Amino acid sequence: MTAAPPDTAQATAPATEWRSLDPRTVAVHLSWLAAPLGSLGLTALATHGRLDTRAWITLGCIAAGFAVITTGGLLRWWRTRYRITADAFELRTGLFTRRLRAIPLHRVRNVDLTAHPVQRLLGLTVLRAGTTADGATGGSALTLEALTRPDAERLRAELLARAGSADTTGEPVLSTVDRRWLRYAPLTFWIFGGVFAVLGTVWRVLGDIGVEPWRIGVVRDAFREFGHSALWLTVPLALLGIAAVGSLGAVVLYAENWWKYRLERTDADTLRVRRGLLTTRSVSFERSRLRGAVLREPLLLRLGGGATVRAVAGGLGSREENCKRSQVLPPAPRAEALRVAAAVATPGPGDGAPALFDRPALRPHPPAARRRRTVRGMVWAVLPGTAALTVLGALLTPVLLYCALGYALLAVPLVLVLARDAHRSLGHGVTGRHLLIRSGTFSRDTVALAREAVLAWSFTDSPLTRRAGLTTVTAAVAAGQDGYRAPDMAAGDAVPFAAAAAPGILDEFLAGDPDGAADPLSPPGRRP
Amino acid sequence: MPELRPPRHRVDPRARRWWTVQALLVLSGPALLTALALAVCSLLFFPGALPWLGPLLLVVLVLPALGYLWFMPRWRYAVHAWELGERAVYAASGWFWRTRRIAPLSRVQTVDTVRGPVQRAFGLATVTVTTASTAGDIRIAGLSDADAEELSRRIGEAAQLVAGDAA
Repeated sequence: MTAAPPDTAQATAPATEWRSLDPRTVAVHLSWLAAPLGSLGLTALATHGRLDTRAWITLGCIAAGFAVITTGGLLRWWRTRYRITADAFELRTGLFTRRLRAIPLHRVRNVDLTAHPVQRLLGLTVLRAGTTADGATGGSALTLEALTRPDAERLRAELLARAGSADTTGEPVLSTVDRRWLRYAPLTFWIFGGVFAVLGTVWRVLGDIGVEPWRIGVVRDAFREFGHSALWLTVPLALLGIAAVGSLGAVVLYAENWWKYRLERTDADTLRVRRGLLTTRSVSFERSRLRGAVLREPLLLRLGGGATVRAVAGGLGSREENCKRSQVLPPAPRAEALRVAAAVATPGPGDGAPALFDRPALRPHPPAARRRRTVRGMVWAVLPGTAALTVLGALLTPVLLYCALGYALLAVPLVLVLARDAHRSLGHGVTGRHLLIRSGTFSRDTVALAREAVLAWSFTDSPLTRRAGLTTVTAAVAAGQDGYRAPDMAAGDAVPFAAAAAPGILDEFLAGDPDGAADPLSPPGRRP
Repeated sequence: MPELRPPRHRVDPRARRWWTVQALLVLSGPALLTALALAVCSLLFFPGALPWLGPLLLVVLVLPALGYLWFMPRWRYAVHAWELGERAVYAASGWFWRTRRIAPLSRVQTVDTVRGPVQRAFGLATVTVTTASTAGDIRIAGLSDADAEELSRRIGEAAQLVAGDAA
């Protein structure tokens, strides 16, 4: 595919021989055995060593799977070679069909190092190099699994150095984690949901290894006791307990994700996030791929005075990967989030506009948008619950009728408050080099996008929103979620906003625009 | 106050028939068949259920299916339109939810022409103009073959003329 490059730049590229992955990579596959063997061991314990046919079949499957995976891993390690030439990063893979992939170094946009616990135990790191081409499709990143840590660090330095970045010197650290931020952890994790999810998993695993929790005396007694106890006391206590466990889980999760968090400028053009306790992550954003930032304020976190920040960056892989890798700040105090978001949105030395996100002058959306939110809440939250309870009450017992009334009395004010908040969140504006969009109540997101990054505009409406005089405007960028919506703005504001934010795109298609008259208005034709 | 005007060119009138067939295949047909099957079953086995099942089927399945079959293609035809300007492509699509999208030619990455089996039977084609963002892709469905060819050629040419980075 690519011939060996000419020797012009060989002096700067001493390592052009093919290099291979670290052999310890194969050992990582052993960890795969732990879960099934562990569960089998538990089964053996539970059944006093008498394994039934099912267990033997499982064991056979595990052995076969292990053989296949290990062989695959060995082959992959054996047949994978990589090197850096003067102008490209080359990777050869494949057993029979040898495949040579070459990424021109100038297109390498970010290099991440990640390691899950087993890899860290073995001193290994996975290196992933993203290019400009994978903004939308996400398929064209090169992954090396796995290298020793020093090798990976060296390779990353080489890749980024040749990718045209300046020298990597210790540059200003934008943000580091503070132990006090842990107080925001319980406000983010879905504490009750998290506990129930974990319980469900445990239940399923127990079921899989043949243990029925109902048969365990302690559990059964506990449930019976619970049923006989004073429910007005024990139910709140149980909820409190679950919340406590959930908070603990949230704190642990926070620590695992954000241990030693550090956001820094490694040079004039690159931002880097490093974090993680067991699984360490390190994500680099190149300036030319940064399109903006999102300040996220989920409801609970907002009430607690906190916020998180995401980068709007391209070349991070598929949408889920982007979601995972674009986080640049853990739940933190709002002031810190404002600072970091502004720094990420205005990359480059000298923090451009520190007040970008701080009480931005946004144009509010019309009251019709609030009515829409109220109606939506009524139709989707109040109505179904009340109707279901009423019907059931009419059929079964009048107690449920009171429940329906109670539900309605409780839900209506809640919907009104949330709709009001959702409406107050809505806003859009243009400031300097950015356009700003804010929306959402369960997660209030303020997005700042670089104006020149917008590559298409969409205007969406329906007969209902047209009658209410509302339009939803979507800015398309080749980064982050791809499309950023400004929902339900006044129909008259839509075009001026889009035109002000990214001038020139719409001009030709405006009604009554003198410039557009160059093409004589003809009746709708069928020919191009 | 500046307003967007609709795109100049409508899609091919045959698109209405294509959308009708599509509605029949995807939504209306299955719904009508389900209603028919339920009605026949009840007639054969539970004749007593017909007085309440009949109106229920009519309201829940038959009328929505017929309504969709009748309105959707006409509505779509009224909404769908496109225009190739000097610097940008402009297209309107959808039916209940109408989306009007504008992408500058300098950001166009590829132009694809796709013909599905039903579309081919009517001599129609869909032109998709892709940009670097999935939220910026423009689909113009229901063009005649000749128009589609011509349009994709012209967009390709125009995109090359307008210098710019596609990223």
